[in-house]
Amino acid sequence: MRRWQLASFVLFFGLWELAGRWPVSPAFPPFSNTFLALVEMTRDGTLGKAYLITAQPLALGIVLCAVAGIAFGIGMGLSRAIEWLSLPVFIILQAAPMAAIIPLLTYMYGIGLTSKVLAVIMLAAPVIVMNSYKGIRNTPPSLLQMCRSFQGTRVQEVVKIVLPHAAALVFTGLRLGLAMGFIGIVIAELLITPTGIGDLISYHGSTADYPKMFATIASIVAVAAISLHLLQRLELRLFPRD
Amino acid sequence: MKKFVAAVAVLALSSGIATAQTKIKYALGDVLGIDDLPLLAAAERAKKRGVEVEITSFKNEDIATQAVINGQADVGQGTPYAALEKVNVPIRFFVQLWSLQFFPVVANEHYKGWKDLDGQEIAVQGRGSGTEAIMLLMAKEHGIKYKSISYVPGSQVRALAMLKGNIRATILDSTNKNFLLKEGGSKFTVLPLGNVKASDEALFARLDWLQKNQAAVEVFVEELVRVNREINKDPNSMVAVRKQLGLLKDLPAKLDEEIPTYFKEGVAGGIFPNDGGGENAAKNDLEFYALSGSIKKENPKIEDFWHLAPLKAALSKLK
Repeated sequence: MRRWQLASFVLFFGLWELAGRWPVSPAFPPFSNTFLALVEMTRDGTLGKAYLITAQPLALGIVLCAVAGIAFGIGMGLSRAIEWLSLPVFIILQAAPMAAIIPLLTYMYGIGLTSKVLAVIMLAAPVIVMNSYKGIRNTPPSLLQMCRSFQGTRVQEVVKIVLPHAAALVFTGLRLGLAMGFIGIVIAELLITPTGIGDLISYHGSTADYPKMFATIASIVAVAAISLHLLQRLELRLFPRD
Repeated sequence: MKKFVAAVAVLALSSGIATAQTKIKYALGDVLGIDDLPLLAAAERAKKRGVEVEITSFKNEDIATQAVINGQADVGQGTPYAALEKVNVPIRFFVQLWSLQFFPVVANEHYKGWKDLDGQEIAVQGRGSGTEAIMLLMAKEHGIKYKSISYVPGSQVRALAMLKGNIRATILDSTNKNFLLKEGGSKFTVLPLGNVKASDEALFARLDWLQKNQAAVEVFVEELVRVNREINKDPNSMVAVRKQLGLLKDLPAKLDEEIPTYFKEGVAGGIFPNDGGGENAAKNDLEFYALSGSIKKENPKIEDFWHLAPLKAALSKLK
């Protein structure tokens, strides 16, 4: 970590400490109390157990999106008919305020795992599909022309040129999809039924244990940020930028 | 003549002070429903006496409680004992609106009585909620242990989940129990409940605010107690009061008939206190919420959770 990066963290946590001690509000704990609460919750296993519960719908949703979403995006990129049928749906889904739509899932799919997986899919799928689709569509025409001039078949064109070229954008889609998945699962756990991380946030909020509530929120932000950062590094290694 | 003019001026000024509007910002952690009719009636009558009660609906009780803690609202409604115990701002309850009246319901297909719930999954409102406390208390009483407890906020959501078969045993408020029995008929059974007397909804505020605004609080409390007494005298009274004061005008017509049913059931269950709850309610609450785990402190004292001065003053005027 570079020195200025460390300094920005120190500054942020310092300001947080000051704001908590001032205090900005009786419900805003200083950074030190939040950090101690985080240590306590990690030690007694509360956070670990909550993450195990939260991870299930998140992982299921992302895996389903990765398999079906990428296939769908590629299909949209390769076939005008699929594109014509599905593109508007994904554009609308990208623009729709999901926090308003997610509670509707409970009316259709109840309050269990299905609704939460669907919440993750609803947020992650549009990003994954659209990136895969754009990856296919952005194949340089000159490469396609070259393939055709060498009498390459359509299958060769797709397998040897279109897909390898789209891979980087597909991977970016997956990374951004995971980011949206984190948002989806937290919204679902707060709006549908409080389980896992959502339960810890709402329970500690309702019992005014604000350091623990903030610690839980900070931990999910950190987990999401670290996961995405690691995926970004993997992406750079797999698909180095020119 | 001068004396007369001065006397008239003093009289005018003092009457002006008496009718000066005092606003109470009231945080309700729910949307307004039939059960809020007594509150709305009391607020409307308090307004006529110079105390305006501005009711704002929040998404849930937690947010309403936070609004009071942060000073954005003056009065909150609910029973956030755990929050009050932990938060570093002195907040006190000052009147009980009604005591707990919940109905444990099970799907007949799977369970017939309390004993059948041994080792089974149940759903309640939330962790540390009154509904969870009741179910735990009953488990203790019947010598059973649940397999797991799911937290499903909203009686209406749980009633719908029961109808869809997503959950098989839960606990509902009166309105949703009636809705479930109406829709599901003989598919569901209401399990018998022991005598639970703790508050379901009580009003709380910051102690400094209560002390500073005791006169306004007294007027509001007086009206709340008066409405409860009217309901206990005649459970149908709310129908006429609603019409007279123009309350809950947007209520769907099909819910109209549920008003007398709700209040009759409440009066039969003795949930509306004629005396604002007072010390008795405080004692019952401390016992119940300590048992439920909301209050962690050993031997909690009434004065740490309740401020009874405005209620006592209001009651003395009502006698």
